[in-house]
Amino acid sequence: MSGRGKYRGSRPRNNYQNFPSVAKEGTASLAADSPVLAMFKNAALKLSERQDRHERLVKLSRDTTIESKRVIFLLHSAVTKEATGKAVIEAKERLQKLVEGPIKSIGLELENSPLHLHARAVTAGFQEFIEAKTFCSLMENKTIVTYPEIQKEFQYDVKEEDGENTRKVVTFLPHMDYMLGLADLTGELMRRAINSIASGNRQESYHACQVVRHLYSGSLGLYGIGKELSRKTTVMRTNVSKVEGAIYAMHVRGREAPSTLDTAAATWDAHDHHSDDEGFF
Amino acid sequence: MIENNATNLLFSAFQKKIEEEQEVREVIRNLCKEVDKFSREITAVLQVMHHSEEGISPACLKARRLLDKVNEGYAKLKEVVPATDYYKYQEHWRFMTQKYCYLISLIIWLEKGILASHETVAEVLGISTLEQTTGFHLDLDDYLVGLLCLCSELARLAVNSVTRDDYEKPLRISKFVMDLNSGFRLLNIKNDHLRKRYDALRYDVRKIEEVVYDLSIRGLLPKPDAENALEMPDAMTES
Repeated sequence: MSGRGKYRGSRPRNNYQNFPSVAKEGTASLAADSPVLAMFKNAALKLSERQDRHERLVKLSRDTTIESKRVIFLLHSAVTKEATGKAVIEAKERLQKLVEGPIKSIGLELENSPLHLHARAVTAGFQEFIEAKTFCSLMENKTIVTYPEIQKEFQYDVKEEDGENTRKVVTFLPHMDYMLGLADLTGELMRRAINSIASGNRQESYHACQVVRHLYSGSLGLYGIGKELSRKTTVMRTNVSKVEGAIYAMHVRGREAPSTLDTAAATWDAHDHHSDDEGFF
Repeated sequence: MIENNATNLLFSAFQKKIEEEQEVREVIRNLCKEVDKFSREITAVLQVMHHSEEGISPACLKARRLLDKVNEGYAKLKEVVPATDYYKYQEHWRFMTQKYCYLISLIIWLEKGILASHETVAEVLGISTLEQTTGFHLDLDDYLVGLLCLCSELARLAVNSVTRDDYEKPLRISKFVMDLNSGFRLLNIKNDHLRKRYDALRYDVRKIEEVVYDLSIRGLLPKPDAENALEMPDAMTES
């Protein structure tokens, strides 16, 4: 994103060489004290300030995304119960660091600008964070963290420069980003369910399947949602059928074998469908 | 096992929010439609400048009266849009605001021959220029796009003034648009809609230059002063 901007920025200057001489004279004739010049200098300042802020936000958002993805990976890698417990504790710690780090910086960066101006810069980071956060909470105590709960975590007390007073800073989380994160969560749960089958943990896979179903049926009831979320709803649908297919396979074929041999049955479906999820395995 | 109830709550809370949002959207959309009507009327009124010199100042007066209504419209819009959500709903009035920026700067140019500043345009619309955490304002981008539209219209005006034997106006337009052009080159424009519009500016510039060139090569420029006399041989050697 940033590269594109830098490259484009310098083009008109070169192309300008081709302008007829009259144009060049016109430039020269712009007096140093003309109001037009002053106006444009001011505008240039404002525009680049906004662009710089945007770039910084994109970077913070990217940091959040990367770390969230790693947390999700960490949670996936835990197979046994003890390992899961450990992974959840570590994941929680790392998520907390995200909240205190990049997400807080986003809040500080946006403190003095209108709410939705830079929404596009940060949406990806938020979505990924929500995905990791809800996934973690599901594995910890089988609940999904709600939107108000997360928004509440995004409130900070920041020390003023004088070191005495504190002021409140809030990183605003758009509700839409939360829902988009939830939609992505179904992909993780699908993976979780299939992994659980593979490791012979039927209970876990049934649970994951049930959550995916709930999320999907909940999203079916929505209307008037944007393009992005509708698209993700279709992806959710494929996730649901993948999980259900895997569970079915386990159920039918698993009957004939001890639960340690469920591995063969579970992989039945996993390769069958092309996944349009990020796929970091 | 997770309660279906809990997930349902997640979704119903979201649905409620969406519905509220859509109500606001509906109101904004209707209001914008209403305010946008005047832009077409003003554009139509100002078209007179392309064929009649005398018609210009009455047209400006009429346009100004219409702008008062626009001002009222924006006042209403300001009330309807939630203070923190300017950029959430901006798409609804963005195009319209750009048109008004163009129209206002055109009127001011026709009246006084000067560039309307960001502040002036905002003042005519009755909104602020400051981008704050809350409130309704005139976005800098929209103002700049308005100026670029102005240049296109002036390019057309340059051609048409020659047709009615006004050889002085193209020169003034040329000076004005050149100033704007060099001003725009100070901006570091990103790859967005403003840049697309800006890329079109060079065609307007070229058109105006052609007009000035045609006039100068035929000696039609009004009493060429020292500066223009210098320009002419220069232009000829290039051709």
